[in-house]
Amino acid sequence: MKIAVCIKRVADMGARFQIGADGASVSDAGIKYDMSDFDEWAVEAALQLNEKHGGGEVTVISLGPDSAQETLRKALAMGADKAVHLKADRIPFDGFAIAEALAAELKDGGFDLVLFGRIAVDSAAGVTGAMVAELLDMPCVTAVSKLEVSGTTGTAERQVEGGVETLSFPLPALCTIDQGLVTQARYPSLKGIMAAKKKPMESKPAQLGAISVNVSKMELPPERSAGRIVGEGAAAVPELIRLLQTEAKVL
Amino acid sequence: MSGQNFAFLLVLVAALGFFSYNIQRLVSYLKLGLPENRLDHPERRTWNLITIGFAQTRILRERGAGLSHASVFWGFLVITAGTAEILLHGVWPGFSYEHLLPRPLWQLFMLSQEIFAVIVLVAVSWLLWRRIVSPPKRLQGKEIHNTEAIIILFVIASLMLTLYTTGAFEYAANPAMRAAQYGWFRPISSLLGAALSGAPEGAMHAAYTVSFWSHALLVLGFLNFLPYSKHLHVVSSLINVWFSNTSGPGQVGVMKPMDLEAEVEQFGALDVDHLSWKNLLDGYSCTECGRCTAACPANITGKPLSPRKIVVDTRRRLMEKAPLMAGELDVEGSATLLMEAPGASDAFGNRLLDNYITEDELWACTSCRACVTECPVSIDQLDIIYELRRGLVLNEGRFPEEVQPTFESLEKNASPWAFSPADRARWSEGLNIPTYAEAFAEGKRPDILFWVGCMGSFDDRAKKITVAFARILQAADIDFAILGQEETCHGDPARRLGNEYLYQMLAKGTIETLDRYEVKTIVTFCPHCFHQMGNEFPQLGGNYEVIHHSTYIERLLNANMIPLTTEHGKHLTMTYHDSCYLGRYNDVYDSPRESLKRALPILTLVEPERTKDRGLCCGAGGGRMFVDEKVGKRINVERTEELIATGADVIAVACPFCMTMMTDGVAKLESAVTVLDISEVVAGQLAPVRSRELVAGD
Ligand code: SF4
Ligand code: SF4
Repeated sequence: MKIAVCIKRVADMGARFQIGADGASVSDAGIKYDMSDFDEWAVEAALQLNEKHGGGEVTVISLGPDSAQETLRKALAMGADKAVHLKADRIPFDGFAIAEALAAELKDGGFDLVLFGRIAVDSAAGVTGAMVAELLDMPCVTAVSKLEVSGTTGTAERQVEGGVETLSFPLPALCTIDQGLVTQARYPSLKGIMAAKKKPMESKPAQLGAISVNVSKMELPPERSAGRIVGEGAAAVPELIRLLQTEAKVL
Repeated sequence: MSGQNFAFLLVLVAALGFFSYNIQRLVSYLKLGLPENRLDHPERRTWNLITIGFAQTRILRERGAGLSHASVFWGFLVITAGTAEILLHGVWPGFSYEHLLPRPLWQLFMLSQEIFAVIVLVAVSWLLWRRIVSPPKRLQGKEIHNTEAIIILFVIASLMLTLYTTGAFEYAANPAMRAAQYGWFRPISSLLGAALSGAPEGAMHAAYTVSFWSHALLVLGFLNFLPYSKHLHVVSSLINVWFSNTSGPGQVGVMKPMDLEAEVEQFGALDVDHLSWKNLLDGYSCTECGRCTAACPANITGKPLSPRKIVVDTRRRLMEKAPLMAGELDVEGSATLLMEAPGASDAFGNRLLDNYITEDELWACTSCRACVTECPVSIDQLDIIYELRRGLVLNEGRFPEEVQPTFESLEKNASPWAFSPADRARWSEGLNIPTYAEAFAEGKRPDILFWVGCMGSFDDRAKKITVAFARILQAADIDFAILGQEETCHGDPARRLGNEYLYQMLAKGTIETLDRYEVKTIVTFCPHCFHQMGNEFPQLGGNYEVIHHSTYIERLLNANMIPLTTEHGKHLTMTYHDSCYLGRYNDVYDSPRESLKRALPILTLVEPERTKDRGLCCGAGGGRMFVDEKVGKRINVERTEELIATGADVIAVACPFCMTMMTDGVAKLESAVTVLDISEVVAGQLAPVRSRELVAGD
């Protein structure tokens, strides 16, 4: 099967974030980057599908500055066969602009399946996949937690409130992958890393659509103030109630 | 030459020919292994050969069996000289050392033969009794060739007996030569011969011939059985000891350097031909004595690992694979038969990893080096384990799933735990400890880098050790600094877990930081950091003097640089738990004990049963800290029980990993014993600041 996986390079969520100088972005200082978790699971899912069915080819695509190539290399090291880097100075927030660039790349690729992560863990918008499906005129299933393919039909499961729904759809199709489809994405072995160096990586300018949505301001959540011990035992209760009413205003 | 001599010559030539053919075959198998230079420092190697080989120092670590085996070994050395004479005598009846040596020397030689034969007989009887009647645990296990061992012991006994009977029959058959050839210097043969001397000479002649031939055939049979059995060690172990690095030359316990840029088909080892020739020679030399397995903490607590099996499997797989590669299928048939290699037809599809040695065995190892330390023939079991771990991780990305977050965190946070690098020096807030960046900004070059380590930076219990040691340094007025947020893991956990790629990335990064700050001397309280940075960094071009805090504190105490109080409080009984990476890896046994005694003179130091180079691992080494212990008894509980049994009030440690494991063990056992790092004991004895200032102000 020919599978394309669209992946995004994101900041490591464990980091201590600071707002950049323009007040509308995250500062780069001390931040490590890696593939978005959901995208990692999507790559893993693609690799597992092809391992199961034998043969096939997995192409990974990422849009962004040159550093995106590092993330693509990781996917190649995991086992993807080739990579396409859609070069852009930065990753815009506007999902539709990105979707147009990705769709332009995917359009003539002859892919049976296009996979996305359900969301990118940094922007958490979760719209790009669906937009690409629309632009390519493909059936789209979001937040897939189980995926099977037989012949030209795909079957997907989705976790819905209190249950599971199973959907079927014709290929080619686009799915966005949720947590739970794979337990853990594989760790690239050194052998994989070495092999990745020799795998094809194409870099070309991204044909971004018009950007109509921009981030105008970013703020850190307010620092949580230190806890206060009001007193001990029953004697402290009246004071506690008073504070909850006047300071915290929760009562 | 008589017909009989001619027949003997034929037998001798055939036997020696077959033996040398087999030896050449075995040597050719070694060539399947990767090259490795083991010709450096010949003087040191020869010293090992003399002490470990000839003087049998390792064997003698175990009293009973050790002495028996050493007796057989020394007996063999002496008696082999006699055997050579007997074989030559078979071809050329006139040959005797008697004509070559001055008579007193010759008499002494004959006496040595008879005496050592008795010693060997006694030792062999004891060994037989032990094999058959009460085998110790280390001689049980499915990789053991027990029947073979028993047969060999019987053969050795028969060799000794026929030595006497041959002499006795000769005495009885030749009255003429008695006076010159027999006497006090051949007491047993002479006595036996005298008892037989009434018998008809013709019969005695026949009996002599039979006895002589039996002895000679036993010798030659034994010789030719060796290459097919675990008794190959008779031939290879002395050679192995000479080539071994387990007792030096060079620093012990250092993992093999690895070139990640090399164009190789695989990294580390998946099969025997990815191991070095020395690993394969180890396979030949294993005596299956099980001393390693008996000392292995993983094995003791019921994990699926036996270091002996690792070595025996290496040999068995080599015996299976080498003939196929060397195109010698015919010989292979007999070789595998005796070596019991399973399913010879699968030989092509098999490999050492998975078919012989499983993943679970490899991950159970704590890299404690107990096996290596015990092995009487200087085998390096751990080296094979490491190479196979590398094979697993680097080629196949296989490792216990709980290790993946460790690797990922090392990559992202340069620490095995997911803590932000920004929090690394939190412990130092308000303690007035400069960082290198600060010192450099003021144009200063601190004397000492206090390397804190990831445990010391992030683990709540270990942070107390960090502070205690920093207080000692401050009290002693040492010009030191820390790297603060710029400290990064040196990658040792990744290396021990087989991830050489991640290790080299981290180690190179650390070396870059150290060199940028012109660091020369490093002090650390983590034995893993100590070993890695001191002994393994040179492989990557990082050369520093690295001192463990136990040694450093001892030095400061000896130089009276640490102001101590004279208040000793109540009397304490303490026991000290040896850390593997300090003890067996770096021979530091006394410094921690001395530091404790000097800081607290009224202390009673008691030793647990397994101590110093026999100490039992805490269970955290070799990356085991990051692997769940799912099978068997917990190693730290086994160890803590032993330490508590000493009756000590305090368990002293000198390693943050041991600290975690022992604290955990004490909690599990609901004991009231306290676990302290040696620096905490010393810091607890620091003189109060005010009196110190008074002293300084004098
Ligand atoms: S290093 Fe320790 S744990 Fe590993 S095999 Fe040897 S004795 Fe067992
Ligand atoms: S490896 Fe050494 S200690 Fe272990 S069984 Fe073999 S000879 Fe004995």
